[in-house]
Amino acid sequence: MRRALLLGSMLLSGTALAAPLPTYELSLQDGHFDPPQLVVKADERFKIVLNNIGQGPAEFESTPLRVEKVLSPGVTTFVVIHPLKPGVYPFFDEFNPQLPEGSILAQ
Amino acid sequence: MNQSMFIVWRESVEALLVIGILQVWISRQAEHSRLARFLWAGVLLGLLCSAGLAGLMLWAGEAMSGSQGEWAQAALTLLASGLMVQMVFWMHRHGATLKHSLVREADQRLARQGGWGVLLLALLAVSREGSETVVFLYGAGARLNGPALSLFAIGGLLGLVLAGLTVVVLRGSRRFISWSLFFALSEALLLLLGGALLVAAVDRISGQLLGMDLPEWVYGAFGESRWDSSALLSDSHGLGSLLADFAGYRAAPSLVTVLVLLGYWLWVGNGLRRSRPAA
Repeated sequence: MRRALLLGSMLLSGTALAAPLPTYELSLQDGHFDPPQLVVKADERFKIVLNNIGQGPAEFESTPLRVEKVLSPGVTTFVVIHPLKPGVYPFFDEFNPQLPEGSILAQ
Repeated sequence: MNQSMFIVWRESVEALLVIGILQVWISRQAEHSRLARFLWAGVLLGLLCSAGLAGLMLWAGEAMSGSQGEWAQAALTLLASGLMVQMVFWMHRHGATLKHSLVREADQRLARQGGWGVLLLALLAVSREGSETVVFLYGAGARLNGPALSLFAIGGLLGLVLAGLTVVVLRGSRRFISWSLFFALSEALLLLLGGALLVAAVDRISGQLLGMDLPEWVYGAFGESRWDSSALLSDSHGLGSLLADFAGYRAAPSLVTVLVLLGYWLWVGNGLRRSRPAA
């Protein structure tokens, strides 16, 4: 019962108690990504801190990374990505689809 | 202009398809005027919700993109998926042409039961993608001025017209096929969409779980990819991406995604067999 409560409260608050995840930063600016290619370590969970420094909203999206997130201008948020096999994983800003995609290189 | 046109088309075509299918089906029912009122009330409420949600995203962006926002979106997506299936069962049970086969009293009961489902489904279909469209239009529109803004607005409007035309063309295909085939295809489309929504919700929930401190097996089940078919069919471009949006295809799915989608189709298949219209 206590465990269930603990799990429940963790689910609600979404807090992580363990060692911090490896974290990478990515800025979005009106469809442009900085860095355009994010290099991450393969086969481990990791966190990307997303920061929309553009003037317009952005929708960070990638099916292989299993992410779809709308960011209004000025918003900083994060996503946690599952362990990736070595390879290249594209992502894009759905609100600026004509601009080149960004990618994650897992190695 | 091309850009705003394409984005509005992409974001609105799914909702318009759902509305189009419901509307055609309703028009074949004896209680059509009552059911139609539920449908259009749902669309209207959906538009209002879109504006409200978009306002929240723009002015409370930090909270909306945080953990609570993610759980809320996952819950809405799950609800939309469930409603999609419930609607198909309902349509299936009552058949495409019950005009002659049901007595008036039963029709009224049907309209009452199904009406709220129709309303809620239309509401969710419109507001889920609609809110993103509003955020996009508002954000991009606020940065532009003069002729660029007019072109942008025209593009957005053309996108909506194009999405409407897409649905009209699809509905036009009715002339060349029978009603039963038309509804079989509609049911299939709604069920595929229901599966896609379910997988999208699983993705969202998995993303949240991966960020928490949980036993290792949870990460394995919700995170780790079980295989990778992206060399055969990538889910980020072309056909694979379309299948991802409309059927829940994933090139490198987690165990939970595979089990959920498998369970969904087993359950749906079983449900369809049971709810075959009484001849």
